[in-house]
Amino acid sequence: MTLTTNLFRSKIKRGVSLYCYQQADFFHKMTWKDQLREVATGLNGATGVEIISETTIPNYPNPPESFIEEWNSEIARWGLTAVTMDTYIDSLMFRDHVMTIGECAEKLKMDLKLAHKLGFQFLRPCTNLPLAAIASVLPLAEELGVTIAREIHSPATIHPTRNVYGDVVAQAVAFIQTTGTKNYCLMPDMGIFQDRPSPVTIGYTLRGLGFNKEDSLKSADEIFDASFEMDRDAFQIWLEKNYKDLTQTRIAGMFKNGNSTDPLELFSIFPYIKCLHGKFYNMTEIPGKPGQYEERSILYKEVINLLNDCLFDGYINSEFEGQRDQQDMGVEGLVDEVEQVRRHHEMMQRLIDNDEYFIKV
Amino acid sequence: MYDNFLVRSDSLQNVEKDGKIVGFKFAVRVANYRGLFVSLASGFYVNMDGVEYPEDALTLEINGKPPRTLAELAKSTWEFWNYQDEHVYLNVAKEGGLAPGKHRLGYLPVTMNDYGYHLHDKEWIKNPPKPGMGGGKTSRVCWFDLDLQ
Repeated sequence: MTLTTNLFRSKIKRGVSLYCYQQADFFHKMTWKDQLREVATGLNGATGVEIISETTIPNYPNPPESFIEEWNSEIARWGLTAVTMDTYIDSLMFRDHVMTIGECAEKLKMDLKLAHKLGFQFLRPCTNLPLAAIASVLPLAEELGVTIAREIHSPATIHPTRNVYGDVVAQAVAFIQTTGTKNYCLMPDMGIFQDRPSPVTIGYTLRGLGFNKEDSLKSADEIFDASFEMDRDAFQIWLEKNYKDLTQTRIAGMFKNGNSTDPLELFSIFPYIKCLHGKFYNMTEIPGKPGQYEERSILYKEVINLLNDCLFDGYINSEFEGQRDQQDMGVEGLVDEVEQVRRHHEMMQRLIDNDEYFIKV
Repeated sequence: MYDNFLVRSDSLQNVEKDGKIVGFKFAVRVANYRGLFVSLASGFYVNMDGVEYPEDALTLEINGKPPRTLAELAKSTWEFWNYQDEHVYLNVAKEGGLAPGKHRLGYLPVTMNDYGYHLHDKEWIKNPPKPGMGGGKTSRVCWFDLDLQ
């Protein structure tokens, strides 16, 4: 044991984006209050909460005062931490002109103030924004104590040479270094570490080709298993050969991205990472280990080990996204989001506490 | 997303005005995981029993206000379409409305909400996207079997 870090318990914290419960919310099965209760009581010690502003906040961006009061009181009631508010910039919302940089800054200020009122530490606006708009709102972010998080989301990768969007991550790092700000940070989404298509996405793609439900699920499992037998290039060739209707475009769609990021690339940006999105699609039981679950299409173990190496002490917030690829199978085919998030937290806690990794003290 | 659930199956009804039936309406949901500014609801594809209805036959009834045309919606910049809202109706002008019984609806909403700035921004200001080309999470026409009481 050479690394002193191994002597300590992990400082990684677990949270949940209420994005996970979007389907239960849509069908009026869970209100945001029900969702907070589940986070606080169903997940063995999860403490963080994240929201999509446009999903959870009624009459956004001007919710009634009663909502703000109720939100803060429910967060306090359950002893939760409001970690991140995710929001968007609609460049076309005025419809008669493209939003100017000044208007973009005004919208960001509105979101910063709202995030602050609701007790959030981070504001994550969507990614395609001019840095000039961000720069102009940094003084307000500082005053309110809210940090703006720049998400790194697939198909973006960390390393610029493999990033379809160019050197956006390097630009964000340069921006932080140049401004010296403490109120702008990076937020990788675990989806960038997805290294094969999820079986739920494969199944959805096959049903789009005309497969019936049973055949699509059976073939999805076979295809997913095959992805572990060969490297990515060979897998693509194998797919095209065995499933003639799968075009390059459909295969790219199944992968959700152009390239998956090597977890080691996290080292280069680690000082700027303050929180992560724990993207996942499908938690399945590990064969022979009842009650233990895994997300086999995303490199969770490698990333969490590395975050522990670096003594990361921020939140990983669950972001379940397997719903939409199963909504075509009717009401009875809808996935149980609550169960999926519980499984995700079983996995995260087990990986965070990695027995092979930390000395028990 | 939510392709099979975008129109409430028990919501089809005729619309009456001044004692005359002037059209029909049905309840629609957001085709996304989040709500949106009403101004970004830029269009709808509607095919009822094989008849496609032009955009000037369509009005949206939302937030307790009278049905509004697409041009009026475009000006409703800061008004929000809540994600959970089940009381949003798309009204379709059709003299005499629909006969009682079964009807087949093809529906696809067009929205201009997306993730920040895009290369198509200026083009979309001039020419809003056609059905299937918008920024929402559903790009194919969704079909519903509805019953008019």
